[in-house]
Amino acid sequence: MTDRCVLDETAPTDWRTLTAAVAFVALMVALPAVVNPFHMTVLSLIFLFAYCGQAWNIMMGFAGQLSLGHALYFGVGSYIVAVLAQRYGISPWIGAVPAFVVCALLGAALAAVGFRFAVRGVYFALLTIAFAELVRILFEHWELIGKTGGFFLKALGADNNPLLSLRGGPLFTYYASLALLVISWVVAWRLLHSRTGYFWRAVREDEDAARALGVPAFRMKVLAVSISAGMTGVGGAWFGLINGSLFPETVLGMRMSIDLILAPIIGGLGSLFGPILGAFITVPLNELAKDLAQKYSLSGLNLLIYGLLLTLVVIAAPEGVWPKLVKAAKRLLPKGRRS
Amino acid sequence: MTSSNNTRGRPGRRPMLQAAVSASALSTLPFPSIMRAQGAPLKVGCILPLSGVLAFVGTATRRGTELAVKMYKEQGVNLEVSFVDTESKAENGRIAAEKLIREGNSILVGAWDSGTTISAAQAAEAAKVPLVVNIASAPQITEQGFTQVFRNFVTAPQLVANAVQRIKDLPRGGGFNPETAVLMHVNDTFGQSSRAAVAALWDRLGVGIKILDTISYDLRARDLSVEVAKARSTNADLVLPITRVNDAILIVREMVKQDWNPMAIIAPGSPGAYEKAFTDALGKYADDYIVCVPWWDPRQPIAKSVIDRFTKEYPKERFELNSGFGWEGIQVVADAFQRAGSSKPADLHAALRSTNIESHVMFGGPIRFDDKGQNNNIGGVMLQNQGTEPRVILPGDAQQAKPRLPHTPWSKRA
Repeated sequence: MTDRCVLDETAPTDWRTLTAAVAFVALMVALPAVVNPFHMTVLSLIFLFAYCGQAWNIMMGFAGQLSLGHALYFGVGSYIVAVLAQRYGISPWIGAVPAFVVCALLGAALAAVGFRFAVRGVYFALLTIAFAELVRILFEHWELIGKTGGFFLKALGADNNPLLSLRGGPLFTYYASLALLVISWVVAWRLLHSRTGYFWRAVREDEDAARALGVPAFRMKVLAVSISAGMTGVGGAWFGLINGSLFPETVLGMRMSIDLILAPIIGGLGSLFGPILGAFITVPLNELAKDLAQKYSLSGLNLLIYGLLLTLVVIAAPEGVWPKLVKAAKRLLPKGRRS
Repeated sequence: MTSSNNTRGRPGRRPMLQAAVSASALSTLPFPSIMRAQGAPLKVGCILPLSGVLAFVGTATRRGTELAVKMYKEQGVNLEVSFVDTESKAENGRIAAEKLIREGNSILVGAWDSGTTISAAQAAEAAKVPLVVNIASAPQITEQGFTQVFRNFVTAPQLVANAVQRIKDLPRGGGFNPETAVLMHVNDTFGQSSRAAVAALWDRLGVGIKILDTISYDLRARDLSVEVAKARSTNADLVLPITRVNDAILIVREMVKQDWNPMAIIAPGSPGAYEKAFTDALGKYADDYIVCVPWWDPRQPIAKSVIDRFTKEYPKERFELNSGFGWEGIQVVADAFQRAGSSKPADLHAALRSTNIESHVMFGGPIRFDDKGQNNNIGGVMLQNQGTEPRVILPGDAQQAKPRLPHTPWSKRA
């Protein structure tokens, strides 16, 4: 137990982590009783970006491998489920499996190519951007998915069963998004405290030293990218089901890659709650900025306010908001209990 | 009991009276039917891209929307519109719609681009709140089974079909007898789908002009000298550009630089050349450029009154396609509100189903929605910039100016 805490100084002990997680889930489960459908939609978006942030966190926060092209998996996953459902009538429950597997394999292939030739750090990040752009351009010319004209899901009929189609109103979307987030959190938590998780963190801190100690760095890095990519693919699939329309520029573009990593960066890399807190900061801030712009009828003001607010958050907590909160909480505890 | 609840198939007294009032008003006034003292305002939520890459056109649509709200309010039709900016991101459509519905808007209008519209339609469908589409051309919007969607805009194939037909109808003679053409198109969603539609329709409609080459370029291109040189090397009689505004400007500037004078530049169903940004940037070189698009109808008295007012309100702006369909989107809503006599979404939905607006701003037949919610009566005109203003040159009965063909060589423009 002590070893685990030594490796991540911001990680609380397991019982505290679990208590916090259970309390959070209980609160979120009860929340629809007091909020309206719009708030549920915003919260669903928060859960989705927290989920995708958690997926990216596994690769960047745990294993230290920077990807700036995660839209690749997000977009591919979204198209797989949407095309299977729309064109071939395959349930999204089943479609989620190939979405995960294909994206995981794509991630593994990209990582294997990069890491085999010792492409590290920002150079690996450039490689991820290049692949994402390549796939975006390919999709923009692919007839099956409607090329740049987009791919559209049918409207939900009166006989729609959300549990089968995985598409429904704000309440269903809310709980399904929450379930997805909980699953990602449990997966990340289990991985973080597994042998693989320790290897990842060893690679993150000093890859050469880890290798010298017998850590299979190449395999570990490929595994991290692969799991992260597969999870992101499922997140993309969920996005497609919520949104109903897909365009290569929207789901595979650079802007989506940035949107996906904002939450974990703001919340705190390498921590289990960082991406969640980050999403709870970025999405509502964006909505707040939009409200202000709408109130004063100044188009574009929201982007300015949003950028400014994010800058302030980064200046106040450059290592992420969650680690700062944990440190502040620890300072409040008596000295003997600061473990 | 409202007509929507009347199950005996006999029209109620109130709807009949409203219909009679509307019909009589329509027949006598240049402005659409008026019913005063509506009581509580109808809350209308408007979804538009007001920032980001589509801000320019989104803002133009907003101007038309706001003007219509103001004009209807002066006539006693009390509409209260709230705008939500999608930041030109398609995925923001749903959340924007949810927000407007939560704020108590009984009807939505929007959302300029197809992705955003489909995204917003999901929320409108779930909440059973009607969505009047002002601009968005993807055919799928009215083909996916949405029951709350009413689109007063052409689909992309309709847009191009109208344009190709106009090119075919363009009178030949007097040095204008094109046999070949080169197609240049921006490589984005709109450009790709328009190119495909032109390719599919060109031979089917028997235009009789051979397309020698198709040249695409990136939306973010800052220089089109190579593309224009390539097009020039085909020695085609016509240039058919499918563009946005910036690339249309780049193409003309490059053609002037390379002193390439084909018989004409004719944009099939493409935005760009009719916008003020284009004519302001190019001045005399903007002249003679031809576009085939839906446009305001110079024969309609209502169009004249709306444009006069628009010019007063926005003296530095031009009333064009975006402002026009922004205006008509509100006209459709106001008309439904008047006939429904209620601000309940279900009543508005029932009223929208029986829309039949004969006097309206944009070129085409009466505004009516089919079973899928599509207005199939929107026409297209051929415009030519003359004196840095777009003028209707086709069809003949709506003509504001004679076609100037072949186009005046760049070096001979005063």
